[in-house]
Amino acid sequence: MGIFLQILIDGLVIGAFYSLIALGYTMVYGIIKLLNFAHGDLYMIGAFIGFTLLSFITGDGGLNTSVLGIGMIFVITMILVGFVGMGVERIAYRPLLLAPRLSILITALGVSLSLQYTSMNVWGASYKVYPISLPKNGFEIIGAHISYSQIGMILLSALLMLGLRLFIDKTIYGKAMRAIALDQTACSLMGINVYRIISLTFFIGAFLAAGAGIMSGIYYGTVNFMMGFIIGLKAFTAAVLGGIGNITGAMLGGFVLGILEAYGTFYLGGSWKDVLAFGILILFLVFKPTGILGAKEMERM
Amino acid sequence: MKKYSAFAIGLLLLFSILLSACSDGESSEKKSNDDDISVGVLLPVTGNNATDGKDMLNAMNMAVEKVNDAGGVLGKKIKLEVADDACDPQTATTAANKLVSQGVIAVVGGYCSGATLPATGVFHNANIPMIVAAANSSELPEQGYESLFLINGLVPDQAKTGTDYFEEQGGKNIAIIHDNSAYAKNLADFAKGYVEENGGKVVAFEAINPEEKDFGSLMTKLKALNPDGTYFTGYYAAGGLMVKQFKEKGVSGSFMVGDGSYSPDIIDIAGAENAEGLLVTATPTANFIPGAEEFVEEYKGKYNLSPGPFSALSFNGMNLLVDALERADTTEADALIKALKETENFEAIGQVIEFNDTNSLNQSNFHVMKVENGDFVLEK
Repeated sequence: MGIFLQILIDGLVIGAFYSLIALGYTMVYGIIKLLNFAHGDLYMIGAFIGFTLLSFITGDGGLNTSVLGIGMIFVITMILVGFVGMGVERIAYRPLLLAPRLSILITALGVSLSLQYTSMNVWGASYKVYPISLPKNGFEIIGAHISYSQIGMILLSALLMLGLRLFIDKTIYGKAMRAIALDQTACSLMGINVYRIISLTFFIGAFLAAGAGIMSGIYYGTVNFMMGFIIGLKAFTAAVLGGIGNITGAMLGGFVLGILEAYGTFYLGGSWKDVLAFGILILFLVFKPTGILGAKEMERM
Repeated sequence: MKKYSAFAIGLLLLFSILLSACSDGESSEKKSNDDDISVGVLLPVTGNNATDGKDMLNAMNMAVEKVNDAGGVLGKKIKLEVADDACDPQTATTAANKLVSQGVIAVVGGYCSGATLPATGVFHNANIPMIVAAANSSELPEQGYESLFLINGLVPDQAKTGTDYFEEQGGKNIAIIHDNSAYAKNLADFAKGYVEENGGKVVAFEAINPEEKDFGSLMTKLKALNPDGTYFTGYYAAGGLMVKQFKEKGVSGSFMVGDGSYSPDIIDIAGAENAEGLLVTATPTANFIPGAEEFVEEYKGKYNLSPGPFSALSFNGMNLLVDALERADTTEADALIKALKETENFEAIGQVIEFNDTNSLNQSNFHVMKVENGDFVLEK
């Protein structure tokens, strides 16, 4: 029983990262039907900008590494990377919005590689160790050892996702995003500035990915320029598993994938976990191609 | 008018191609005859293993500089041609072909066995001798290439050093983890064999994906198995994260890593308090080798950092090549291979090089190191 709970928590932590990144994939897909393969790299850029800012305050900057300071760095980094996301959209994707889907897909791969190697040149090729780390202590519950940092990671990502949900459901911008997902032409006829909303979507996606990036840096302790690739692929899988274009689906897909991997590691062994996770993905796509929550008639976003 | 100009441009192009072809031929001939002896270096100078790769390159540069300052070899200067294999088999093949086309007379290097393996095939086909300084998968000598020489202890030696240590400490239940790279898998397989030979039990034999960061569920699994010792055979980036998560989860027993993880970076990544007591099977860094003080001082003075785990071996490899060149008295491949093969009691830093019939070391150079107070010390 303890083991069962322990693995569940392990899976929820990795799932939280998948979910946060999957949200960006799914939002962009929902709104302009683009698989933004550069999205995992925004997560990486977030981790690196957070690394630089944190090194500054823990180093000679003279500021204290208070919770407040770290929180501020979180927000600043997320906003900065949000702008990077907007810039990518403005420079690389907007001119191609009306071009064939394939051109924009290839562009996305190009953007991904550009971001990776730009950051390699800026921050170097080797692994960087995050200047702050989380306390190790935690508590025992029915035989499972759960650390406070694990709980913190899960709560923080849940908070971000809740914020996003509220933004999409309650604000006028969220409404505009949902509307564009349904019909772009009609939206522009109704006086919605479609480009601005697309830009906003990229901002939010990158914002969340950057949050995941810093969280990962603090939680695991290392960052390097290739870190966005595998996790981007996994998050994309999570988005498809949940039903691409569907926000709740992306959150759910991330957690489901994380938990599947964790149980796969435990019961089948580390080398089989991906076989299990992706096997289930294939089964899903065969029997329910729209993913867990995606449905044809359902309102996307 | 248009037609004529197109024709003229075409002719011009043709001439320029011919001219450049001629000059190319001339210059490359010149290169191999007069100027320098060009020696290839195959190392990962970018990517996950760039830190070790650059350390190795530094040591080789140091060796070459010394030789050149003392008047070179065979009356010529040595010039290094560096090719980056990025620890990736495909990149390594391209890099090897590049070195062959540059007309190098021999190659020193090789860090990741996975990347070195395909490259050795390229050099073998081109009949270019290679001295492998760090890579040590037993698959390398198994290819039976006459032109391939290994100066690092091989994987079975390392596996035995590690598993014997566990046995001496009374460890019976051993968990083994590798990262599916050629080298780590090879070492893990041998370790498994030796544990069983020693009468122990392999409680887990697991593979991880080194690109990932979360080994939480694997550590949960280990914790449930209660191992006396865990041996990770992969590289430091994943190794450091694993040590950290091993300690956070509170898994029983000691954690040992292979020489792919023998780098100060593993202590940084794991965090000093987590790395305390970490065991490493490796060929000791120059710092721990008696008689290497001079090398260490010089290296520190030159590059302002301590030599890496394979610096001494790289330095030795380059010097061995120079020695063989002198003995062969030519840069011609067959004579050079013969001279390398006939190496006898070559006194190098921390090792005496002499080859057995598979062109690998007669004497293994592996030891167990331990992390104490945030630094490596010689344990056994």
